[in-house]
Amino acid sequence: MTNTLNHNAAQNDDVVHPEPEDDEQEDEEEEDDDDDDVLPNLRTPQSPASKLQQQRFKVETLARRLSSEMVPIRVHDVLVNGNTKTKDWVIEAELKGIETATTMQDLMRACEAAIARLQALEIFDSCKVRLEPGPKELPNTANVVVDVVEANNTVSGECGVYTKPSTSSWSLECALKYKNLLGYGDIWDTSLAYGGSQATELSLGVYAPRIKRLLTPIVARIMLVSQDWQEFSSYKEQLLGASIGLISTKHHDLVYTLGWRTLTDPSQTSSRSIRRQLGHSLLSSLKYTFKMDRRNSSIRPTRGYAFLSTTHLGGLSPDHRSLRFLRQMTSFSAVFPWGQGFMNKTSPLPERFYLGGDFSPVCTLGGPTTLWGFKTRGLGPTEPRRQSRNRADDNNSDSPGWDFIGGDLAVTAFADLSFDLPIKWLREHGIHGHVFAGSGNAAKLTQNEYKHFSPRKFLESFRTSVGCGIVIPTRLFRLEGNYFHILRKDEHDRGKTGFRFSFSAPS
Amino acid sequence: MAENEINTLVVRKPCFGLPTGCTQCLSAYLYLKFAQLPFQLDFHLNYPDSDQIPYFEVGNYVAYNNEKGGVIDCLKRDVGVVDLDSGISSLPDWIQTKAMLTTWLADALAYELWVGSEGYSSSPAYTIYYSDLSWPLGKVLFWRKARWIKQKHGINNENAELKKEEIYRRAKSAYGALSTWLGEQSYLFDNRPSSLDATFLAHGLVVLQALPESSVLRSKLLEHANLVRYVQQCKTEFIDDNPTPTYSWQFHTAGSSSTSSRSTSSSKTKSKPKREKTEEEKTFKRRSKYFVAAQLVAVVVFITIMTSFDDAEVDLDE
Repeated sequence: MTNTLNHNAAQNDDVVHPEPEDDEQEDEEEEDDDDDDVLPNLRTPQSPASKLQQQRFKVETLARRLSSEMVPIRVHDVLVNGNTKTKDWVIEAELKGIETATTMQDLMRACEAAIARLQALEIFDSCKVRLEPGPKELPNTANVVVDVVEANNTVSGECGVYTKPSTSSWSLECALKYKNLLGYGDIWDTSLAYGGSQATELSLGVYAPRIKRLLTPIVARIMLVSQDWQEFSSYKEQLLGASIGLISTKHHDLVYTLGWRTLTDPSQTSSRSIRRQLGHSLLSSLKYTFKMDRRNSSIRPTRGYAFLSTTHLGGLSPDHRSLRFLRQMTSFSAVFPWGQGFMNKTSPLPERFYLGGDFSPVCTLGGPTTLWGFKTRGLGPTEPRRQSRNRADDNNSDSPGWDFIGGDLAVTAFADLSFDLPIKWLREHGIHGHVFAGSGNAAKLTQNEYKHFSPRKFLESFRTSVGCGIVIPTRLFRLEGNYFHILRKDEHDRGKTGFRFSFSAPS
Repeated sequence: MAENEINTLVVRKPCFGLPTGCTQCLSAYLYLKFAQLPFQLDFHLNYPDSDQIPYFEVGNYVAYNNEKGGVIDCLKRDVGVVDLDSGISSLPDWIQTKAMLTTWLADALAYELWVGSEGYSSSPAYTIYYSDLSWPLGKVLFWRKARWIKQKHGINNENAELKKEEIYRRAKSAYGALSTWLGEQSYLFDNRPSSLDATFLAHGLVVLQALPESSVLRSKLLEHANLVRYVQQCKTEFIDDNPTPTYSWQFHTAGSSSTSSRSTSSSKTKSKPKREKTEEEKTFKRRSKYFVAAQLVAVVVFITIMTSFDDAEVDLDE
């Protein structure tokens, strides 16, 4: 009898508490002891109307109790139903906080959080949590029952456009995902990306939220990346490798990469220092990123601060012939090689700093790479490319062109002042104006160039640009129409005064 | 003279007592020595599968080996290096000897280095080409080259022995013919050094110095005393007098410094009549791309703003 009433109480719950959109459903049922206190006429048969009245009374009492006081409860058992492929411990690991809840309110909050975490795994079609009364001999206890429905469609496809601050470019990415192959909540994906600088990437990756006792998710990827820097620096880069994410939290990220990198120059026009770096190298590196973003918005930040520090250490192998370098990127960056005789060695070409690009430094947290008004790899140390073959015919020969060889030390700074526009419609949509100024420089330090380095000369040769424009922030990206005026640039820099559109995505 | 104005021949690794262990690089080295052109050596160690090496640099000029005629022909044409082959390069004997050197003997040495050796680490090819690459990279590249050589000769498991004998037989015939041709002379043709002497001497030096004593090819060369004398003489005159350049990790720094933005470049004449047309076309194409992109962006922005406007209306309704 009691159980039937409890069931009816659950049914009426649906009337009193309409189900939220994400299919969360909690059937709240009274503890047996409370039923005895609250309900009169338990044993006499009742008409449907009076039954309904009693149920309503019960629920109202419960709601009043929940809103006015902490209702003590203890979780006796947590049961998982519906998982045929997924391992129990994968689901149980997401149910933290439920077992330790001491009050009804805590329990409800913990259940909501658990459902959100389970849905974030992307391997279930639906997740529901039910509370059932515990054993009769243990008062004030409840059993938590988790009902999951595993996804029917394990294969899904995705297509998107993403930013790559490291190369100041966009990439179009298409991915095919296979979910829960091994039952660990693992997601396997094959993706093909095509982007700026004719960068193409084919990769196969796996993501697993946890493996048994390991606290951090497992992220591993095998990739074949190819990038064409022929236009700027006369070389093409290919990388065949694998990366493993060791630590991945909100602020910290640690990734190990092992790869075979090849630099080639099919056009055979590269400058001297690039020519000497062509060939094969083994990349074995650890990259640690610390990120703190306290800005109130990444599209139009008006308050707060953000800090990004990336430390990339290469050469982590017993073989001294692998690429050795240390790259540190914050607001003040430096790159230099290490190992025996490191003072004389040159830094690896792809690890140097290349300034320039279309992204706005306001919303992109990518380090000192972009500078308003200058094109991708548009400023920094340069070297003349190979001269045409016929040296006797110098007068008619074309000038050879210049390679941007990147710097070992790069510093950029920017200031951006944004203001609302007078038209109301523009203000409502967040469209605002801004004036800005940016400055940056890159210098070579390796191969004994540090002996010629002078801070005064470095400061004097800072490139500077100013400008103004209109910013149209959208949900996905930030569109800017700007007029740049380059105040100072070097002879070979690729930057122009003029009007330009650019759009960048927050990161 | 600025550092990068010095004649520099960039070659593969010096080893086995030779200025470079690679036959093509050594042959270019010897030719320049014969031509008495002053130059210095520099080394490119991490690109064993490149056909650009050896290359010759002076200033911003570079002559790569994979360009027409090879690095030596490019230098004869562009830099004015003495043509040591004038008057003899059209002789029928010249062409036959060249064919023999560049096919039979070159193939035999390549076979010996990559296929005939007992393994990756014990092969002299490892020291010459791969010792500066990390182990997995070197191993894969070595295997790739060995496979290419087998494919070139059509070698498979069934005919491996036959092919091996054929390759060594041809090398033996070539050595015999060269030995007969050379006789007691100091050089192969006209008693003066030529590019064929550079080619053969480079081959001979690598065979005698780099290959192990158990090598079949080496023993075949040792059967011809006059060829050995010829190679030793060259070694004494051109190699031993110039001690092997000290090799270390500083190979990048030998005579190099990047010009960077501090260098004064040659005068740049920006407007050239014959390029104006293509510049205009490029500008036009670029502008049309910007126009299309601007249209696309305007559409996207319109849709996004209107969508957010609609969302706002829906919120108000609720």
